[in-house]
Amino acid sequence: MLRLVKAESFKLSKKLKSWLGPLLIMVLVLIAFPLSIDISQFDLDKFYFSIIIVSLLMTSFVATEGMFEEDFEDGSLEQEFLIEKDFYKLVLSKIFVYVCLIGIPIAFIGALFSFANGVAIGSFAKVFLLLSLSNLLLFNLFAFGNALSINKGAMLGVLSSLPLALPVIILLGTAVRSIQFGDGFAAIITLMIGVGLVMSAIMPLIISAALKTHID
Amino acid sequence: MKLLSAQNITYSINENKLFHNLSFEINAGEGLHIKGGNGSGKSTLLRIIMGITSPSKGLIETYDQDLNISYLGHKNAIKNYLSPLENLKLLFNDAELKIALKWLGKFGLLDVQDELTAGLSFGQQKKLALIRVFTKSSELIVLDEPLVGLDKTTAELFSGFLIQKLSEGVGLILTSHIDPMINCKVLNLGGKNAEAS
Repeated sequence: MLRLVKAESFKLSKKLKSWLGPLLIMVLVLIAFPLSIDISQFDLDKFYFSIIIVSLLMTSFVATEGMFEEDFEDGSLEQEFLIEKDFYKLVLSKIFVYVCLIGIPIAFIGALFSFANGVAIGSFAKVFLLLSLSNLLLFNLFAFGNALSINKGAMLGVLSSLPLALPVIILLGTAVRSIQFGDGFAAIITLMIGVGLVMSAIMPLIISAALKTHID
Repeated sequence: MKLLSAQNITYSINENKLFHNLSFEINAGEGLHIKGGNGSGKSTLLRIIMGITSPSKGLIETYDQDLNISYLGHKNAIKNYLSPLENLKLLFNDAELKIALKWLGKFGLLDVQDELTAGLSFGQQKKLALIRVFTKSSELIVLDEPLVGLDKTTAELFSGFLIQKLSEGVGLILTSHIDPMINCKVLNLGGKNAEAS
């Protein structure tokens, strides 16, 4: 497992476009969107979270686009199958590395921009935690989509898994309201941690089966 | 010692049987050269042997559940955006890396070890992929057209390596249109362009 985490971290760190691209998109959207509309600072406070949520969805979508495609194309998946006999550990490692190297920085950028746009300093940690957990859920879902259509252009599968991300967005919206009104945040975060843990355990099994079908 | 046996292996695509009722065994120190024309199912048979593809009928039985297989197929499984040295570091631990670096030298790739793999020629990339097979210790080596793209010197080096591995008791299964210059059993799958054997 450690071997896979080290290898995936090394590979992702060498693919500048794959990890820096989503971060730049996040920054770009968060800067460009408020500039593109004529709105007062007061109103921006009210819906800036919505911009962050949409940016988060978009960057997660982009970040996971080529998650398994390269390994499928160059034959690395077959080599991994010979070592481990399935892809569970590989998928788990990939999602972990992607969340750490892309998901958490994206969450930090989101929290930073929300603070810069008037969110109280006390809420910074809450926003960061919320966005990090959302990324964990979204990366799992989009990795599944990516694995589904790996031999037909991974973007197609990621698109098809987009409806699965809607409950996460709804949950995120509820959590944002709870931060704004100071009520029920702990319950929502607990729910998200629970869903995140279950998803992190089960989704690699499903993705592993999908990948096996593709190399068969 | 038996490493693997195939019993009545059949593989069909839709209604067309690619091959039918194939049975063979591989013992330690024994080689099997699978021959056949294009589209006769050589690569598919290799993938069935390794458990990557499921046969339509029949059974592949390995006598050790954890049979250690080294495999090189049509895809090199190397990362184009990394240098040859980084590719090797990704694959091997420190002890294995020393062996891999020796092979890198023997293959004349030391000069390009820090360049991007994407910039290497097809033959150089193939050599890099072969280092995985040469370095990893395994009980069975499975190779799909390993000689394609290799120059004469490397092909001889490669044949020498396989002969040495066979003498050490490692099993070998390979497909090749080029004579691998080793003494092994032949399985001819036929096909439209198959050579008589």
